[in-house]
Amino acid sequence: MTPVLTFRRSRTSKFVDRLMRGVLWGLAILFVLVLVVFVGAILKQGWPVLNLGFLTKMPETLDAGGGIKPQIFNSLYLVVLSLGLSLPVGLGAGVYMAEYAGKGRMLNFLRLCIETLAATPSIVLALFGMIVFVQAMGWSFSIRSGALTLALLNIPVITRVTEVSLLAVPRELKEASYGLGATKLQTILKVTLPYAATGILTGLVLTAGRAFGESAILVFTAGTNASAHFPDFRLTVPGETLSVHLWYVTSDGTLPDAREIAAGTAAVVILVLLTLNLLVRLVDRAIRRRTRSGLFST
Amino acid sequence: MEAGQEPPFAATGAPVLQHSRFHRLSDRWAHLAFLACSLLVVGLIGGILFFLASRGLAAFWPVAGNTGRTLSLSEVFLSTDWAPSSDHFGIVPFIAGSLGVTGLALLIAAPAGILTGVFIAKLAPTWMRNLMRQVMDLLVGIPSVVYGIFGLTVVLPFVSGTWLAEAPASGFAVAALILAVMIVPTIVSLSTDAFESLPTSLDEGAQALGSSRWQAIWHVLIPAARPRLLTAAVLGLGRAIGEAMAVQMVIGNNPQWMALMRESTDRAPFLRALFTPAATLTTELVQELPNTPAGSPWNNVLFAMGLLLYLLTMVLILATRRLGRGKEA
Repeated sequence: MTPVLTFRRSRTSKFVDRLMRGVLWGLAILFVLVLVVFVGAILKQGWPVLNLGFLTKMPETLDAGGGIKPQIFNSLYLVVLSLGLSLPVGLGAGVYMAEYAGKGRMLNFLRLCIETLAATPSIVLALFGMIVFVQAMGWSFSIRSGALTLALLNIPVITRVTEVSLLAVPRELKEASYGLGATKLQTILKVTLPYAATGILTGLVLTAGRAFGESAILVFTAGTNASAHFPDFRLTVPGETLSVHLWYVTSDGTLPDAREIAAGTAAVVILVLLTLNLLVRLVDRAIRRRTRSGLFST
Repeated sequence: MEAGQEPPFAATGAPVLQHSRFHRLSDRWAHLAFLACSLLVVGLIGGILFFLASRGLAAFWPVAGNTGRTLSLSEVFLSTDWAPSSDHFGIVPFIAGSLGVTGLALLIAAPAGILTGVFIAKLAPTWMRNLMRQVMDLLVGIPSVVYGIFGLTVVLPFVSGTWLAEAPASGFAVAALILAVMIVPTIVSLSTDAFESLPTSLDEGAQALGSSRWQAIWHVLIPAARPRLLTAAVLGLGRAIGEAMAVQMVIGNNPQWMALMRESTDRAPFLRALFTPAATLTTELVQELPNTPAGSPWNNVLFAMGLLLYLLTMVLILATRRLGRGKEA
């Protein structure tokens, strides 16, 4: 039996309708304000600290006045390394899921695995990286332990973005390619992937932003020290990033100016991420203009 | 190609034309390489489970490499007494802490997120919709340590100054508030999708029967979207329970919080509990793992806590699958 709904237009129902519309608008505006206050507070606290010296000096261990030069380098280095490690795997898995798996059990199972990996808390990935790379491989806290573990965070995101972008490629394009006698691999490499490239690129930038901000994983795998040399490209040295530095100076408390350092670092992190976000938006707008369907449907 | 022959469509991908040996081989090898990438992901899921279990379960079994005694399951999972230096390893305070802070966060974020979702999908004008999307994208992109530092330098001092709590005010309330903001974008984006995918006939039908906008939302749209809204809440829950750094920075990190509350004779125990420094599974891992020697019962129990978090993630993902199965009826 289906329940029958009846609606009464009474004065109360009109009042409730007005009230709830107001509440919904209020709620939405509240979130906008939360973001504005949040970013505003972080930038305001960090602004007095931000200057060329702060960005280009080495950090101090006990005295005030240290900079964040090696942390900036390590952040970028680790993002590039981890993306380099996760891109082939993520792309490959995404291509397989979109082009080869077909509909059925296999695809369902792969999706389940990707979802699980994406939902795995970063602290759990950190523990895995610590057991395998830091301890079992004997690499201790190092750039290579950090980059490999960070790659685990990126893989599900890249896979998902690749799969979604590939599925959005019009079927006619592929059919035309097969019709011209191309093999499946040729079609993927020369038709499908180039068509989906902008979408995948956008996803990559977002992934880079996530990796850039990640801290839990790196505390346990790349460590909380930065090399005294600059720039230190060795993979075996510890590599403290900006996010980790921000956390470490706050919770460690040996620096007299920990507050200022943390505030400045937070401002740098936010500024980098805002820039990335703007970049993504510009790319997305370019895609929309070309294909009339952007990536930002979710 | 001869006339009348079926075109070689993507359904099989089998080329009808003769390809060179190189192309045929590379096609086959590429297939295997793509498959290998997928299997690597599957292997990772199993690998994480294996390695976490190998260290976490070592707490309860005598394994080579263990340096201390073997613990019993009950003294770990049923005891509230966490004092590793005097050989007590009860992790109930952390489980309760995780559930408490996550529950509170969800209590704020789920209604707020779902209502914002319905607002974006059904009420907001286009400019507001676009603005909200951007706001949520930015909120989700802010790293957890930055949320943590915001909580530490803005929210905590703010709350400490009020009648709510004495300084430093760290505890469940502030941690849950920060967590709620962190998981709201997930819930908003999933529930927006849920409402947008409902057939417009539902909305129109309700209004044709004389319902107001809100009555249609409350009596028709929300019930219709319920399975997907639940999925959104579960995924938000998953994000909240695994969050480590932000919570660690504001919750106060006190493993003895349950004992502290038992002894307190406060007149408003609930309010007191909200502002008692506490600890969760994730915060305790961040706090103590670096300082414990590998193979000790202490270290093993910490890995067992990580294993518990991982198993919880799997259960939550399977739950969303189960919820999703009943959806598009």
